[in-house]
Amino acid sequence: MAEKRYRIGIDVGGTFTDFVLADMAERELWFHKEPSVPDDPSAAVDQGIRALIENHGISAQSVELIVHGTTIGLNAIIQRRGARMALVVSQGTRDVLEIARMRLPSSYDFTEPRETPLVPRNLVFEVSARMDARGRVLQGVDAAEIKELAAQLKTADVEAVAIMLLNSYRDPSLEIEIGHALRNELGGLLITESSVVWPEIREYERCLVAGLNSYIQPLMTSYFDRLESRVKSVGLECPIYITANNGGTLGIDTARSRPIDTVLSGPASGVVASTRVGAASDINKLITFDMGGTSADISVCQRGTPEFTSSTFVGDFPLMMPVVNVAAIGAGGGSILWVDDLGLLKVGPLSAGAAPGPICYGRGGDKPTVTDCYVTLGIIDPDNFLSGRMQLDAAAARNALDAIAEQLGMEGPDRALEAAEAAIRVATAKMATEINKLLAHAGVDPRDFSLMAYGGAGATHANLLADEARLTSVLVPTAPGTFCALGAVLADVRRDYVTNARYLIGGSGQRAQDDWNRLTAQLAEMEDEARRWVEKEGDLIGAHDFAVSINLRYPSQAYELEIFIPPEQRERLSAALVSQLFHDEHQKLYGFNEPDSALQTSTLRLGVIGRVAPVTLPNVGDARPTTIAARKIWYGGRYLDAAVYRREELGQGATVNGPAVIEQPDTTIFLLPGWNAEAGRQGTLRLRREVQG
Amino acid sequence: MKLDPITIEIFFHKFTAITEEMAITLQRSARTTYVKEAGDFGTALATPEGRFFAYPNFLGVSGFLDSNVGPTLERIPELQPGDVVITNHPYESEGLATHMPDLHLIRPIFHDGRIVAHAWDFIHSADIGGGVPSSISPKFTDLFQEGLQIAPMKIVKAGQMNEDFLTFYRANCRTPDVNLGDIKAMLAALRVGEKRILGLIEQHGVDTLMHAQQDLVEYAGIKALKVQQTIPDGTYEFWDYLDDDYNSRIPVRVRCKMIVKDGHVHLDFTGSDPQVEAAYNIPTGGKRHPWLTLKLMHFVFSNDRSIPLNHGVFNNVTVEAPLGSILNPEPPAAVGIRSATAIRLNEALVGAMTKAKPSLMPAPSGGIMIPSVLVEQDARSGARNVMVLQSLVGGTGARSGADGVDGRDSSLANQRNTPIEKTEEEAAATITNYALRRDSGGAGRWRGGTGVVFSVKIAKHGSAVLGRGMERFVFRPWGVAGGKPGERARVVVNLGLPGERELGKLDIFHPQPGDIVTIMTPGGGGYGDPLLRPAEMVREDVLFGYVSEAAARDDYGVVLHNGQVDEQATKALRDSRSAAKSNDDFYNFGPERDAWEAVFDDETMCELNGLLMQLGLAVRSKRRSEIYLNVVPGLAGDDASDLVSLIGEIEPARARLSAEIQRLRTDLEEFAKETRQ
Repeated sequence: MAEKRYRIGIDVGGTFTDFVLADMAERELWFHKEPSVPDDPSAAVDQGIRALIENHGISAQSVELIVHGTTIGLNAIIQRRGARMALVVSQGTRDVLEIARMRLPSSYDFTEPRETPLVPRNLVFEVSARMDARGRVLQGVDAAEIKELAAQLKTADVEAVAIMLLNSYRDPSLEIEIGHALRNELGGLLITESSVVWPEIREYERCLVAGLNSYIQPLMTSYFDRLESRVKSVGLECPIYITANNGGTLGIDTARSRPIDTVLSGPASGVVASTRVGAASDINKLITFDMGGTSADISVCQRGTPEFTSSTFVGDFPLMMPVVNVAAIGAGGGSILWVDDLGLLKVGPLSAGAAPGPICYGRGGDKPTVTDCYVTLGIIDPDNFLSGRMQLDAAAARNALDAIAEQLGMEGPDRALEAAEAAIRVATAKMATEINKLLAHAGVDPRDFSLMAYGGAGATHANLLADEARLTSVLVPTAPGTFCALGAVLADVRRDYVTNARYLIGGSGQRAQDDWNRLTAQLAEMEDEARRWVEKEGDLIGAHDFAVSINLRYPSQAYELEIFIPPEQRERLSAALVSQLFHDEHQKLYGFNEPDSALQTSTLRLGVIGRVAPVTLPNVGDARPTTIAARKIWYGGRYLDAAVYRREELGQGATVNGPAVIEQPDTTIFLLPGWNAEAGRQGTLRLRREVQG
Repeated sequence: MKLDPITIEIFFHKFTAITEEMAITLQRSARTTYVKEAGDFGTALATPEGRFFAYPNFLGVSGFLDSNVGPTLERIPELQPGDVVITNHPYESEGLATHMPDLHLIRPIFHDGRIVAHAWDFIHSADIGGGVPSSISPKFTDLFQEGLQIAPMKIVKAGQMNEDFLTFYRANCRTPDVNLGDIKAMLAALRVGEKRILGLIEQHGVDTLMHAQQDLVEYAGIKALKVQQTIPDGTYEFWDYLDDDYNSRIPVRVRCKMIVKDGHVHLDFTGSDPQVEAAYNIPTGGKRHPWLTLKLMHFVFSNDRSIPLNHGVFNNVTVEAPLGSILNPEPPAAVGIRSATAIRLNEALVGAMTKAKPSLMPAPSGGIMIPSVLVEQDARSGARNVMVLQSLVGGTGARSGADGVDGRDSSLANQRNTPIEKTEEEAAATITNYALRRDSGGAGRWRGGTGVVFSVKIAKHGSAVLGRGMERFVFRPWGVAGGKPGERARVVVNLGLPGERELGKLDIFHPQPGDIVTIMTPGGGGYGDPLLRPAEMVREDVLFGYVSEAAARDDYGVVLHNGQVDEQATKALRDSRSAAKSNDDFYNFGPERDAWEAVFDDETMCELNGLLMQLGLAVRSKRRSEIYLNVVPGLAGDDASDLVSLIGEIEPARARLSAEIQRLRTDLEEFAKETRQ
C-alpha cells in the first residue's frame, strides 16, 4: 500500500476550480486550475484530481485527505433553486417567515420589495404542541394531528421539512418527537429540527437556520454522493472533508446532515489561509482583501485568527450562526464603468462578472470594466494574461474607455488613459471607505494593519488600495489565485455549538453558587457532546481544543457582550474569572463598569477544533529577479517606466522597487512608485511604503 | 459645478463614509437600547451654514436629512475650535430637536481659523426627566411636563467638558449613567467626523473640500428636480385625520395644499387644525423641515436611488405652516408624540400627490406604530416588571403595479420587531398569536398589505396592557383609484371566546389571568378597482390565506370552488357588480370619514380654523372643543359606538355647526370692538 502523504484542497469557483496538492513529506505545494463545469461541479473536480495525479506522478492511494469547498448551497439560496419544502411551526406563528423581523430593506424606497419568504404560506403548517420559555410543555404532541399533518405533507409532495416550535431552544424533545413521527410516516423525507441544528433563542432566525438547511439538503446530499463516487472512480481511498462557514472543515457525513454549516465557506477559507500565511511572516494584524470578478471580500483579523460574527446574511436571509466575518463590497475586476446623466463617472454596482466578462476578454462583453482599465493603463499585459493562456483585446478596451472619456468631456490623445485612471481612483476610493468603516466597527487604527491580497485581481489592486486607505504594508502570498484552495488544506476540523444558559452569576449567596454550578455542568455536557462528535470525525484528527464563550450582561442593562474564555483559563474557570473578563471588556468598550454587580448570562457557545497535522508552508530558494521587460504604465496623469519581473524569480530576501510590475501565472502585481517589495522566507511578498525623508 | 466629475464622485463616497463611520462609532459604544436595538440615532455633516451635505446610507434614522443646525448655532455667541453645542429644545432649536428625549450635539470643524463644516449627531436618550419615566406621554399638555429643556449651550468649551452642565443634567434625568454613556459615544463620533474632514483637507486641500460640499448639493438638487418634474403642474389639496387628540375624542385634521410648477413644489399646510393640548404637536419652526417633507423625499429616492443624501434634494421645495397650528405650534405646546401626527401629515401629502398623478405614490399604509407594553406584578413583593410585548404596525398601501407589503411598514421608523421568545423569556404571559390579519388589506386591482393580529394570554393578577400610538380606530387607511380602504384597528379581549369584548382604543387595560388580549392593526389601502384584479391573483391570495373565500366573492367578485376559479360564475358576478356600481369615486375613505365630512366639510373647516386662529392661545383650544362637542355631543362621553352613529342625523348637526361658527364670528367681532375702544 502506498504511503499516505498527499492532501488535496479544492475550491469551486464560478470560472475556475482551484486545486492545491500538498506533499506532507517533502513540504511542497502544487497548484492547479481547471475550468469549472457549472452543470456538474464534480466533473471539474474529477478532471483536476486526475490532472494533479498525472502531472506529479503520484499514486491515487497516496492521497490521505481531500478538503473541498463548494458554493452549490449558497448559489441555490441566492438563485432560489432549493427544495420544495414545508415548514411546521407552533400555533400562532404561521407567519414567522412572512413577518420576519418586520423591517423592510429600504427606509426610503417604497418600490423595493420585501424578500420572498423561504416557504410559501400554504406550505407552513401549525401544530398544537407548545412549550413555554422555561421549557415546560404546555401542550404535548397530538399523535392524531401529526398523522393528519403527514397526510397533508404527502399531498403537498415536498422533498424536505423543517420544524420550528416556539421555545424549542430550551428543549428539543417536542420537535424531535414530531420529526420522529413524520419520518415514520413519510419514510425517506429529509427533516431538520431547529433545536437540533441550532438551539438558539429568536424564533425567526432559528427557523431560517432550519429552513435553509432543509432547503439545500436534497441538492447538497446528491452533490456529495456524486462527489464521493467521482473521487472513488479516480481511485482515491481517503476521507473527504468539506469546508465550513467557521473557517474549519467537517466530515462529509456531517456536511450531509448540516449543509447550512457550509454555505459561506468560500470566503472563510481565504481568511484562514491569510492568517496562516500572515503568521508565517509574524504578522497578526491583517485586513484580508479577496478581489475577484464580481466583488471584493474584506475582513479584519486583529489577533492572527479569523474573527467571527453571528449576524450575517445568506442571500436575503439573516444567519445567526457564527461565521468568519467577511464583508462583501461591490467592486471587482468585472465592475462596469458608466457615466450618469449629469456627467459623473460611476463604477459598479453592475458587474460583467465572468460571463460575458470585461471587453478585453473578447467574450461578448461590451461594457468597460475595471479589468479593461488595468489593461489600458498597462498594468496587465494583454499578451501575457494568465501566462498567456488568454489573449486580451487591449484595443477594444481602450476604445470603450475613449468613449467614456468622451462622455466625461475629456480631450486629447491620452483621454482614454485619463478616464481609465479616473475609474480606478473612484473604485479605489469606494473600497478604501469600506475598509475605514470595517476598522471603525472594530475600533482599531489602520496603521497597524497589513493588507493580505489575493483572488484574481487582489494583488493587482492592493497597492493602490493600501495607498488610498493609508495602510503601510501589503502582503501577497505566493499563489493568490488559488488561495481559497490553500485555505482548505490548511484548516482544522471545527464545529460550533450553542445552548441557552440563563443564570445569575458572580453575586454572593447560595443562588449564585447554584447557578454557577449549573452553568459549568451545562458546559461540561456540551463539551462531552462536542468531544463525541470530533472523535468520530476521522482518524487524521489529533488533539482537540475547545473555544468557549459566554454572552452576559449587567442585570440593569439591556445589551450583552460575548466574552471569550482564553483557552489556558478553561481549567481554572470560575465565576470570578468570567466576571473579571466581563468587567474589563465593559470598561474597554464603554469606559466604566460595575465591579460589584452580579451578571446575567444568556447563552453558552462552544467551538470544538480537531487539530489536523499542519501543512507547513514551504520555503522558497534565494533566486534574484532580473528585469524581463520595461513597460509604460499610466499613473498619476503620465507614463511611468515600470520594470517587469517574474514572481518565481523573487527568492527569499529579493527586493524590487516601484514602479514595477510582477507577473505570475495567476495574477499581476502592481507596485507603486514610492513603495518597495521584499520576498519573505516562504516567498510571501511584502510591499511597504518607503520612509519619506 | 466647480469640480471635475471624478473628484465629485470620489467626495460623494468619502463624505458618506465619514457619516457612516461616525454612526458606527456612536452605535458601538452608546448605551441606550433606543440606539442599540431600534437605531434611533443619527449622524451627519453640515455646511458652515448648518444644512446637511452628507448623511449615512443605511445607519440610523433616515428621516432627518432636511434638518438645520444653523438656528441652534446662531444662539451661541461665539464658536471656538474644540466647542461642542448641545440642545434638545424644540423651539429654541427651531425644530432641530423635535421632542426632548432627542439630544443633539454639534461640533464646528475649524481649519485655519474658519469653520469648514459641522459634525452633528443625535440620539433618543433613555430619559430626560418630566412626568413619566422615559419622558413621553400623550397626555402632557405642555413642554414643562416633558422634561428638562436644554436651550442651545456649550457642553464642551474649547476642548474642556462643561462640568457644570453635566452636574445639572445628571440631576434632572432618571438614568444619568446611561445618558452620560451615550453622550460620551456621541462626542467620540463627532471627533471621528472632525478627524476625517481634516484628513480630507490634508489630502485634497480645503478649497476642494468646500467646492465638493457645494457641488454635491447642487448635483442632488438637479437630480431631485428631475424626479419632481414628473409631478404634473397644478394645485392639489388633501387632508387626513387623527382619530382624536388623546385628551378628548375630537378628531384632528392635517391639511396639505401642494402647488407644483415645473418641478418646484410648494407645500402649504394652512387649514390644518390649531395646536392641541396633548403631545401631538410637531415643532417645525414654520420653515422647511424634515417632517414636513419626508414623503417628498421618499418619492424622490424611490425614483432615483443614486441621488446623494444631502439638503440639495430639497432645493426646489418650499413650505408654509401657520404659527399656532399643530404643524408649527407656539411654545410651550407639548411635542412628545409628534410622530403620530407626522404619519397623518405624510398621508395628507401622499393624498395630494396621488391627486396630481395616481401612480406617483402608494395608497396609505396602516399608518400606526404601537409599542404595546405589558406590566406584570410580583404577587408577593409587588415589584413591577415592564416589558415591550411587540412593536405593532399595519401593512403598506398598494400602488400602481404592486400589492402592499403584509404586516410590515417602513414608512416612518422601519423598526425591527421583538422575537416572541424574547418576550416570553421576560414575561409570565404567553403570546398565543402573531399573524397576518386576513382580509384587512384594502381590496383593489392591487391589494393593500394586511395588518397583523397579536394576542397575549395573561398569566398574573394585577397585570396591565398599555398601547401608545393607537390610531386608525376611527378613520381608515383610504383606498386610491377605486381601491377600497384597509380595515381599521381593533382591540378585543377574549376574541371568539365567552365574554368577548371590544375594548376600542386602549390607554391602559387591566385584564384578568387567563384573559386573551388581541390587538389588530390596520391594513394598507387598496389601489384600483378590485373587480379588475385578475381572478388568478385572487385565487392565490385565498390559497395563501391573505384573503378569505367570502371576501374574494364580496370584494373582488371572484367565485372559487375547491380552490379553483369558477370562470363563469366569476364573470357573471363581476359583470353585475360593474353594472351596479353607482359612483366611482377616486378615493374610498370608508363610512366614518364620509359621515364626518358630511358635517365638517373642507370649506367650513378652513373657515373655522381661520377664525379659531384669531383667538389667543389660552382660549383657542377650549373654544375649539366646545364647538365640536356642541355639534356632536356624543363625542363628550364614553360611548364606544361608531362615529357614524355618534354624529347621527347630518342636517341638524350641520345646522349646529353653522350656529357655532356664527357665534364665534360674533364673539370675534365683539373682541375686535373691545380692542378698538
